[in-house]
Amino acid sequence: MVKIILKNPKESQDFGEKLGRILKGGDVISLTGDLGAGKTTITKAIGKGLEVEEYITSPTFALINQYEGRVRVYHFDVYRLEGVEDLYDLGFEDYFYSDGVTIVEWGDKIHGLLPEHTIHIQIEKGKELNERIVTISGQGERYSEIVEELRKS
Amino acid sequence: MKILAIDTSTVMATCAVLDEDNLLGEFSLNQNFGHSENLVPMVKTLLDNLSLKVSDIDLYGVAVGPGSFTGLRIGIATVKAFAHVYNKPIVGISTLEGLAFNLSHRGIIVPMIDARRNRVYTGIYKWENGYLNNIEEDTVMEIDQLLEHLGENYNNIMVNGNGINIHREKIKDKLGDKVEFAPNIHNTCRAASIGELALLKKDHGKLSNYFTLVPEYLRESQAQRDYKKKERDN
Repeated sequence: MVKIILKNPKESQDFGEKLGRILKGGDVISLTGDLGAGKTTITKAIGKGLEVEEYITSPTFALINQYEGRVRVYHFDVYRLEGVEDLYDLGFEDYFYSDGVTIVEWGDKIHGLLPEHTIHIQIEKGKELNERIVTISGQGERYSEIVEELRKS
Repeated sequence: MKILAIDTSTVMATCAVLDEDNLLGEFSLNQNFGHSENLVPMVKTLLDNLSLKVSDIDLYGVAVGPGSFTGLRIGIATVKAFAHVYNKPIVGISTLEGLAFNLSHRGIIVPMIDARRNRVYTGIYKWENGYLNNIEEDTVMEIDQLLEHLGENYNNIMVNGNGINIHREKIKDKLGDKVEFAPNIHNTCRAASIGELALLKKDHGKLSNYFTLVPEYLRESQAQRDYKKKERDN
């Protein structure tokens, strides 16, 4: 588990972009945090790092948006899911185990259905107004690689 | 009678044309999940090379799953469209039965399709008096659970399907000399198998049509999911 403190929006932006540059096809990111914690902001930054040029919006109503970047990017928001059945009706496994990068907002709601290699990112508000505390956890080789890359400045 | 069969349950896109006596042609691409772009041009190439038109097809066979959600929908929607236009019957075939049909093994046949998270879609099949019988129904289960079940209850097992590529070492380890692995060429879905099965089922009156045919995703039931969640939380 790795904890990172992001002191202001600029640092949050840089963190997301850096993570986006590190990600490869097949990676799955689960983002968890309260409303307003900045999940969509981080997603946008990750998208930038993945060279997505299109404007990324929250797929709260669409459930999933797809973007073309350096690799294909699938952006889920599972907040509105009524149950796991809804997710099955999206054919989620074809995305989670694809050659693209998958980002799932509110991923903790579908914990049991996320792949083992999912990188879990929890975002919490810090003491200061714009401060965010990011906790990254996961398992496997890819998790170690990503954490190592993030540590390099 | 001409049969057109399609299987897009897995990464293999495959289509075939058969008549009562022969396989006339088969076209398979084991490439990527571009089935929505590839399938119809593949069918066209196959039919053109056989100097056939879609209107010459009398019966459709299609793999209905388990398998990739998107893949199944593409295959089934395509076949339904063809069948609807010319008002022809369809026979839906289990993807697992199709895989088992690839093999002529004398013992039991256990096809396995990767269902992710250490699970496989599987069923148990056996040739008896010239028919491939389903001994245990298609289901989704943990690979460990399946291997334990097979080890306790069966001998002389042959396995195939993309699940064996992923779990090969584990299967060898758990089942030892009880198990044989199918050769690679019999390991993937083949529309020819789906087509021949469709013909056999039609003769037994197991016809479907373009309204009633649905995919069989074989999802875990709510009860199975609850049970697992309970286990995880403990």
